[in-house]
Amino acid sequence: MIFEIADVIISGLINGSVYALMAVGLTLIYGVSKAFNFAYGSFYSLGGYIAFLLFGLSFINNYFLVFLLAVPILLVFGYFVEKALVAPLRKRDDWEIKVMMITLGLALFLDNSFQVIFGSRMKSLPPFLEGSFEAGDFYLSHQDVGIFFLSIGGILMFRWFLNNTRTGMSVRAVAQNPAGAQIVGIPKEFVFAATFAISTVMVGMGGILLAQKYFITPMGGWDILVKAWVITAFGGMGSIRGGLYAAFIVGMLESFVGWYFGMTWTLIVLFAVLLTTLAVRPQGLMGKWG
Amino acid sequence: MIKLVDVNAYYQDFHVLKNVSLEVKKGQVVVMLGPNGHGKSTVLKSICGLVEKVTGLMEYESENITGMGSEKLVNMGITYIAENRELFPQMTVLENLKLGAYSRSARSHEKDNLEKVFDLFPRLRDRQSQSAATMSGGEARMLAIARGLMSNARFLAIDEPSLGLQPNLRDEVAKIIKQINAQGITLLVVEQNIPQITTLADKLYVLEEGRISFEGSREDALGNDHLKEIFLGM
Repeated sequence: MIFEIADVIISGLINGSVYALMAVGLTLIYGVSKAFNFAYGSFYSLGGYIAFLLFGLSFINNYFLVFLLAVPILLVFGYFVEKALVAPLRKRDDWEIKVMMITLGLALFLDNSFQVIFGSRMKSLPPFLEGSFEAGDFYLSHQDVGIFFLSIGGILMFRWFLNNTRTGMSVRAVAQNPAGAQIVGIPKEFVFAATFAISTVMVGMGGILLAQKYFITPMGGWDILVKAWVITAFGGMGSIRGGLYAAFIVGMLESFVGWYFGMTWTLIVLFAVLLTTLAVRPQGLMGKWG
Repeated sequence: MIKLVDVNAYYQDFHVLKNVSLEVKKGQVVVMLGPNGHGKSTVLKSICGLVEKVTGLMEYESENITGMGSEKLVNMGITYIAENRELFPQMTVLENLKLGAYSRSARSHEKDNLEKVFDLFPRLRDRQSQSAATMSGGEARMLAIARGLMSNARFLAIDEPSLGLQPNLRDEVAKIIKQINAQGITLLVVEQNIPQITTLADKLYVLEEGRISFEGSREDALGNDHLKEIFLGM
């Protein structure tokens, strides 16, 4: 019993850490540009498929190389998607809705492309660490530990970037006061595209990390989009700290509900918690109005 | 240094500035007066590249700057200081100041300018790590001006610095404007609640309904009963 609970907690922590990485990315785009990216889940699958393709290349045999190549690919992809699809809409009326529609279209396009290119069968990635820690009934795979630390590492790197680099500071500036950012001469257009690109990397990394435990499927991103959205709304739209707490709460909740009631209950309970939270605190855990 | 010839500015379909022409010479303090909502801020914002639709001719040191965005203009030395301050609320005083030096041309001067700004506003030095949201109206105003100075500007457009200030801080604002000008920075100031600022002015403009209705020295303005009563508060 005690080991079972330990397992559940560990699994909650690990999933929570990856959710945190992905939710922070979604919160970031919303916080900076007030746009909601419906293709976010498909970018998760894209990360998985990129890793799958990279592993198909003969000279790639470890995750270090995969990350080294996947990160710039995702960065460039995100940047151009923003420039080509989102940026032109920003000058129009009701652009927020239009951005939702176009990213929804992009999601469907990407998912169907995955289906055509890779087929609808599940794809899997090799575990990036073998072996496990074992003590009696207690079991913890090295892979899980690795996923946890890579996610946390990703979030810490992101935090460092926001607080210590010029581009990071300009991202925060645009999120806090777009008019003020324009006054000091920050190129807003570039910040929007950079933000989109960074969030694409974060969710794509999440896709690569989780694809080792679960599988890559053409439509697998929707579950992630829903979860990332729940976390973002639960934590408070635009609040990164709120998103972090919410990600771990959701990870734990999912893990306990799945263990106690069965996996089919997890989304129901998640939405029940989200709705209750929003009924009591419409701005989410740590969100601000507006 | 700054010259506007027949400038028109629009917000969507709303025609705000109508054939505005003005000139600010190097080293001058020029003050613009006029009723609220008649386009004074729009003049400053147009010069600083913050209004989307501007027609006519705007020149900075004989270079045509019409249609340039703020990113370029800040880099060239033209900076706007907003009436409602437009600070970054969840950032510290120091971070706000550092972002003031965002443009390429300001980066290499960041350290020197930070020292200058702290000498001008000693209180900001003591409150470097305080977040901007927790500052009083007067302190936030100082921070907005200081952030503008961090851009290494040679021309500053200062919009209603007295807005939201207690009357006893107005003298201080006038003093600071004088000090900034003494450092060789050319100023175009919109302000009518601080009589001391009009006494600093090399030239006054009055803007009414989007048009320049008066241009001249303070003495000329004092000879005009209409202006004297309405804008100079005498």
